[in-house]
Amino acid sequence: MKWVVLMSNPISIPKEDLNYTSGKLPVHSDPNPEAKPLPKVTIDGKAYEFKPGDTIMQVAERYRLHEDIPRYCYHPGMPIAGTCRMCTVEVEKAPKLMTSCSTPAGDGMVVHTRSEKVLKSRNGVMDFLLTNHPLDCPVCDKAGECELQDYTFEYGPQESNFKEEKRVYESATTKKLSDKITLNMNRCVHCERCVRFTDDVTKTNDLVMVNRGWHKELTVTDEKVGLVNDYQGCLTDFCPVGALTMNDFRFEKRVWFLDKMPSLCDGCSKGCNIEVHHDKEVVQRYVPIFNEKVNNHWMCDEGRLSYHTYADANRIVSPLLPDTASGRLSSTNWETAATIVNARVKSASKVLVVVGTDATNEEAMLIKGHFSARAELKYHSGFGENKALDHLLRQSDKTPNTKGVAAIGLAPMQATDVNGKDLVVVFRQGRAQIPKVEGQDVILVGVYAREEIDALKASNVRIQAVLPSLATIEKEGSFTNCDGITQSFNAAVAHRGKALALPKILAALVGDKH
Amino acid sequence: MMYNNEHFEPVITPNVSKPGCETIDFYMQNEEGYKALEKALKMKPAEVVDEVKKSNLRGRGGAGFPTGMKWSFMPPNPVDANGNVKPKYLVCNADEGEPGTFKDRLIFTKTPHRMIEGMIIGGHAIGSNKGFVYVRGEWHKEIRLMQKALDDAYAKGFLGKNILGSGFNFDLVIYKGAGAYICGEETALLNSLEGKRGEPRLKPPFPAQVGAYGMPSCVNNVETFAAVPYIIQKGWEKYAKMGPERSGGTRLICVSGHVNKPGVYELPMNLSINDIIELAGGVKGGKLKAVIPGGASAPMLRADECGVLTDYDSLAKAGTMAGSGGLIVMNDTVSIPEATYTLLKFYEHESCGQCSQCREGSHWLARMFKRILDGGGTQEDLDYIAKICANMAGQTICAFADAVTGPALSSVRKFRSEFEELITKGGLHGIGRTESVSHEMGGAHV
Repeated sequence: MKWVVLMSNPISIPKEDLNYTSGKLPVHSDPNPEAKPLPKVTIDGKAYEFKPGDTIMQVAERYRLHEDIPRYCYHPGMPIAGTCRMCTVEVEKAPKLMTSCSTPAGDGMVVHTRSEKVLKSRNGVMDFLLTNHPLDCPVCDKAGECELQDYTFEYGPQESNFKEEKRVYESATTKKLSDKITLNMNRCVHCERCVRFTDDVTKTNDLVMVNRGWHKELTVTDEKVGLVNDYQGCLTDFCPVGALTMNDFRFEKRVWFLDKMPSLCDGCSKGCNIEVHHDKEVVQRYVPIFNEKVNNHWMCDEGRLSYHTYADANRIVSPLLPDTASGRLSSTNWETAATIVNARVKSASKVLVVVGTDATNEEAMLIKGHFSARAELKYHSGFGENKALDHLLRQSDKTPNTKGVAAIGLAPMQATDVNGKDLVVVFRQGRAQIPKVEGQDVILVGVYAREEIDALKASNVRIQAVLPSLATIEKEGSFTNCDGITQSFNAAVAHRGKALALPKILAALVGDKH
Repeated sequence: MMYNNEHFEPVITPNVSKPGCETIDFYMQNEEGYKALEKALKMKPAEVVDEVKKSNLRGRGGAGFPTGMKWSFMPPNPVDANGNVKPKYLVCNADEGEPGTFKDRLIFTKTPHRMIEGMIIGGHAIGSNKGFVYVRGEWHKEIRLMQKALDDAYAKGFLGKNILGSGFNFDLVIYKGAGAYICGEETALLNSLEGKRGEPRLKPPFPAQVGAYGMPSCVNNVETFAAVPYIIQKGWEKYAKMGPERSGGTRLICVSGHVNKPGVYELPMNLSINDIIELAGGVKGGKLKAVIPGGASAPMLRADECGVLTDYDSLAKAGTMAGSGGLIVMNDTVSIPEATYTLLKFYEHESCGQCSQCREGSHWLARMFKRILDGGGTQEDLDYIAKICANMAGQTICAFADAVTGPALSSVRKFRSEFEELITKGGLHGIGRTESVSHEMGGAHV
């Protein structure tokens, strides 16, 4: 199985500023002496090669100098606005300071990102932005990951001469734009990333600025409908201040308590790269991390909120066996469960193994290795043929690894496959649907919620055991997404219940020890 | 009237006081109307551009950019990525909103055909078949008059298909703005024309490459277009001779404020501000104190600086600008801080709000001036005004922020003692000015 991991596209461990750099890499001139060398721009005394057409900001991103250039309105995934005036740099021979986000780099251009003139200008911008920004950082949910805070620390004036009344948007101090997003307009710095996001990325146009100048206010296009796009969580990712916050995370945790581990979203077959933010192994949120080939800077709300499945209080995290007298499922220890299921699998004459398409490539191989000699193997997602649900990321197949599981030589399960079998072992570790099995004994392995088990019991499914395994964020492995890209990941958080990794469960199921 | 200029003759306004001067018949009978068009259509487009270039006609909207050069920037045969020919658009900027400026309105109401003829010639020169007249939304009457003029021009065959049998087609459409000062900035105007928010665009690309609806476009002021027929008809030399080097022709100067005969004057540019005040009947109700020479955005001049000539370069040298030709005269009964506050309220209200400095700074300045007027000012405030202005000027997408700092900075620099008096004596009330005029003068609703 290891080969899959080695040959996959491992998701990167991101740098500090998650959303603000593109995947641009350094470029090098063709070593062939006859080839035309790439143009060079000098940034802070060092010459850098760049691709013709790059802006100064993009050159800085290529060489990871982006931290020297602060920005509000610029975002690598959106069109350039050039309005916040924070990213200005000094270009020799240019009469004015230039916005690095919009100024194309030129051959021989000499750029200073931290000259006195530049620092003075940035200080001025901060002075203006802070005049009307409420200084309520202690109770602001963005504190700790706020660009206004960071840039004030780095560039801002330490005091202000602003003696006038601050601007207050009476009607938009805590305004629910949808069930996911809350707006506090008083904190807005009018960078309009959010407006450009809905205009150019989601193309839903559901956010607009109304009024002009000092009164400029962000609002939803249709107040009756609110926000309608499926990527609302992204608004809070790139909102530089605490203006747009996600209801799901709002006031749940101070961000400096969060540990951040990269992983993959298993909410659909796209496999968006994410960072799992957790405090003491309790997941607080998912945020997307940049991957040009997969999800760019974005992820959908469905995936973003899918962590609730694993943090659910009703998730079954201890093996369950039916009580011999009443038939009720009750919690037991792994030794007892292992002995009983091992005997049951060995005594079965015809076994069907259903591999959910939310198993990792490695797990699928392992299941195949353990069962191919003694059972019929099929895979099952329950979502049918995958279709893209929009122009961005969302897919109709809500399982992450259909392509990967199919690639190891399994066929999709048909309804008739259960005929003639006396035992069905179901592996389901994410969002694959539980196959319909009536009349056969069933052993369930994976991630289940109590409601699901109750529903199966109610429809008289003969559950012989429930064996909880680890969820995606709790284990390592690799998924092959709908575009055929295989991505590997490590465990982001430790499992806090009694669920076991699949190899151990498999050993218990079909091992010879028992 | 003494113009000190033997070459001078009115280019745009020779007959504006005569009854019926706005009709097409009057224009054709008495002013050789549409003769220049006839002549221009027989010339090659490049020749027309060359003629305008040599006439030293400079943009009359405020920036004073040479018109012929602007026309020559238009790409000759633009094609898109698929090889399809792109249309080119000619846009007339009639969003006259600069406080103290009312010259375009005179052209609209008194001699609209001169502008229309200028636009058709301009369309021929840059190879455009479609023009837009972007009119400020408040001009209800003017829009009606202009529509009438367009209809008449269509009826006579000066607009539409195959104009005067030359094979050249040109259509003109009026587009009504929604009442924003910033839409007088050419790229904000283009955004507004497209139905977007009136916010200036990031340049480059300039409108000559990507303008209205993404097509190459050329935006000129009403007065600029109105000067074109004369240049074509009488030749560039006659026009260029009227003004000093690099500033050809005449200008419409809108004299307002404390003068005995306020109004629009068509003047050569070799006159000083003092000469113009004299022409306008002299200062009314007191002695001259200050003059704003080019619309509200131009920095003020003290009375002793008013000997400066009114051509573009002389005014620039004096630290101000010719702007849109709005000459606002203030006598010594005016409190400069109060007058400046009136202007700042206007700018606070009109900033589009996309650039940080302008959005926050225009408001901050207005509030600061208000506080000084109300008696809450300190000496540090005066220094801080200079600091705010330094942080705003030249730092934003368009020139609006510079326009805000024009009156704010010049008033504090040149009339600092008046501010200090307000600060030490407790505001307007303290110096005995209980009735504030600025509140009656309108401006922003805050």
